Amino acid sequence: MNEQLDGEAPTAPADPTAPADPAPADLDDAPAEAPDPAYLVPLEELAPAISVVSKSRRAFLGFGLAVTGGLIGAAVLARFVPVFAEELDPASPIVPTYDPASKQWTFVVDTAACIGCGLCVVACKEENDVVEAPVCTRTWVERHTTTTDGTLYVDSPDGGIDGFPAESTAPGAAGKPVEASHFQPRLCMQCADSPCTSVCPVGATYHTEDGVILVDARRCIGCGYCIVACPYGARYIVPAEAGAESETTPGIADKCTWCYHRINQGQLPACVEICPVGARKFGDAADETSEIAQIVREQNPQQLHPEYGTNPRVLYLGPSIEEA
Amino acid sequence: MTASGHTLNLGGRTVPIGPRAAGAAVAREVRSMPFGLRLWIGGLLAVLAIASVAALLSLPPGWEVFGTSPSFEWGLMIVAYVFFAIMTSGLCLASSLGTVFGIERFRPFEKRHAILAVLSLSTAFLIIALDLHYPIRMVFGAVLVPSPTSPMWWMGVFYGGYLVVLLVEVWSMFSDHPRIHQWACTLAACIAILAPFTLGAVFGVLAAKPYWFGIFTPIQMVASAFLAGTALLGIVFYAVHRLRLADHERSASIALPSVRLLLAVGLVIVSALAIRQVVAGLTGTVPGHREATIALVSGPLALQFWGVRVIAGLVAPALLLLMPMTRNPAGTLAASILVLVGVFADRYGFVMAGQIFPTTTAAGTVSYPYASYEPTLVEISLFLGGLALLALVYTLAERYLDMGETDVHVGINWPWIRRHDAAKDPAHDHDVPAAGSPAPDITGTSPAPVDVAAIGLGAES
Repeated sequence: MNEQLDGEAPTAPADPTAPADPAPADLDDAPAEAPDPAYLVPLEELAPAISVVSKSRRAFLGFGLAVTGGLIGAAVLARFVPVFAEELDPASPIVPTYDPASKQWTFVVDTAACIGCGLCVVACKEENDVVEAPVCTRTWVERHTTTTDGTLYVDSPDGGIDGFPAESTAPGAAGKPVEASHFQPRLCMQCADSPCTSVCPVGATYHTEDGVILVDARRCIGCGYCIVACPYGARYIVPAEAGAESETTPGIADKCTWCYHRINQGQLPACVEICPVGARKFGDAADETSEIAQIVREQNPQQLHPEYGTNPRVLYLGPSIEEA
Repeated sequence: MTASGHTLNLGGRTVPIGPRAAGAAVAREVRSMPFGLRLWIGGLLAVLAIASVAALLSLPPGWEVFGTSPSFEWGLMIVAYVFFAIMTSGLCLASSLGTVFGIERFRPFEKRHAILAVLSLSTAFLIIALDLHYPIRMVFGAVLVPSPTSPMWWMGVFYGGYLVVLLVEVWSMFSDHPRIHQWACTLAACIAILAPFTLGAVFGVLAAKPYWFGIFTPIQMVASAFLAGTALLGIVFYAVHRLRLADHERSASIALPSVRLLLAVGLVIVSALAIRQVVAGLTGTVPGHREATIALVSGPLALQFWGVRVIAGLVAPALLLLMPMTRNPAGTLAASILVLVGVFADRYGFVMAGQIFPTTTAAGTVSYPYASYEPTLVEISLFLGGLALLALVYTLAERYLDMGETDVHVGINWPWIRRHDAAKDPAHDHDVPAAGSPAPDITGTSPAPVDVAAIGLGAES
């Protein structure tokens, strides 16, 4: 096209339809002492064009303003629609006697203490009415086995719900001499900079004031975006059979809530309560005298994979941190 | 449109709406169709029938008919959505050269691209609605509670707006509203870039998936879009030329050579981006990036990557476009089909490679060494059903709508363009070719001669 433009423009200098901003080549070709008269148009001739131009510019600006107004209007309207379940909402997870703003919930996992018994997984499923299918679990236990050749194998048969056999079930690990091994309980990290909440297209997954991330079952559309966005693999879609087995809404995203319905009534999460060896610790770090505040102060627990940049609120002690 | 008794007056045609009369009219219409057309429509209806069963199976709560899992959450349905959505944008990108920039040789795309774009985007929406578990909530949730932090929300904004603009474009085209049409075309061309870019951002913002993460993902999405849309135009214009449909003279003389030109440009861009992607992946240091690329080039995805995407989708069409002996309508058709298959393989490989190497366990599931996903028959049927739906409705549009070129465009008064007033300047009248006049070039080896007066402005309003 440029070839044709360049070739044609000099031969049709009076053509007022030619672009007023010609290619540099055209300018170079034109003699310097005789500027092309096509580009010197009296102002009065341009007036109608300018008027049309300003009209279309006004129309364009009007359109832009309408779009912006629509967006602002929608944002204002959104203030009157509950973004998440609020106190007056019968489905609200927040109880009147509970002040979320005063809490600084912290969860610490001690991987040196965990024995991989799987009781936490069982307790979680029962407490939260999670379906039996092994691929749906809010918490699970992994076994990280390093063999003498330096290879790391990870296994988690059925999420560790029935404990672990003596030998790693990871492909290729059988028969290899083991150098080190530890159990790593996993759950939603309740990240402060959570990708799941920022990518949700309908605001169905949200932060509570005390920093827990919840899913509003009435808003979730089941697109799976939060699941692919979670670097810790903490989420799953509730399968269809959930409708028959439990009260959980099928087809929506689900994950650990730190048993929000328990902690806002002063109880511990089910997995913490049942752990026979105290590998899971939970509490309010804002309370300086609490055990969790003391652990955070004295033992310096660390985030798992801080490189993802999500600032997790679950902290780890023990070999998991050395491995990461 | 008026209704009286048992008939409906639709654009000057009387259509019976009583069940018996309508049935008889349909039967008459079918009998009047050539055998090839009946066979084609029958085949498409058969595919659609299978897809309808699949759609019923996948309605809530039938999600288990998809092969996805927490470790492989996005499967063929997402690929199909991406494919149809970017094809829509590509159609507008290719045609905008004629509709917006007024380049004469791309003018034949005007009407057909708009119909195809509406159908392609509708198919994309239909597929994503079947994939979502609560699609109605999506509509209300996205409108009532805007989530501007979510690329998916922006994607909904752009593609939703896109459908409205495309519908306006089609309506204004067939109802002769040239100014509205020009604005709609210009807006469509703008959104044609924004929409696939945002679709790319849906994947590109995910730090959890290193293969998808990064700025090149949206760029690749736009490049794939351009290629897919152009390839679809190639297939359609071959059919227009071969079956001597409306405006077929310009199909062989202008449209198909233009498709060849755009395909060549698109293939060069996409190949360069593909090379960059593989090199960046193999030398990547972010955990998971390199492993995902290895899975693509020498792992479980290697066959479809090298066989379908690279050889069939990039190398073969490039050769078909280069060799003089295949630089004809049939060669263009073959190249277009191959390119379209290649783009599909490209997007399929992209969605798969992003998830195939898990950097963590997913809800207690350890996937080693690769996460596995096999599309189910239901998913495959739904994708084929989407193609059949597009083809069927387009065939009907081609048969019952006036697809002949009308040159409804008038130029927008861009500040940098001075308008041509034919009445004041009769000396230049002969420069403006009559609407629909074929350009003399039929070989496609050189660009069709284009009049400067027609470039950038089109006909006078």
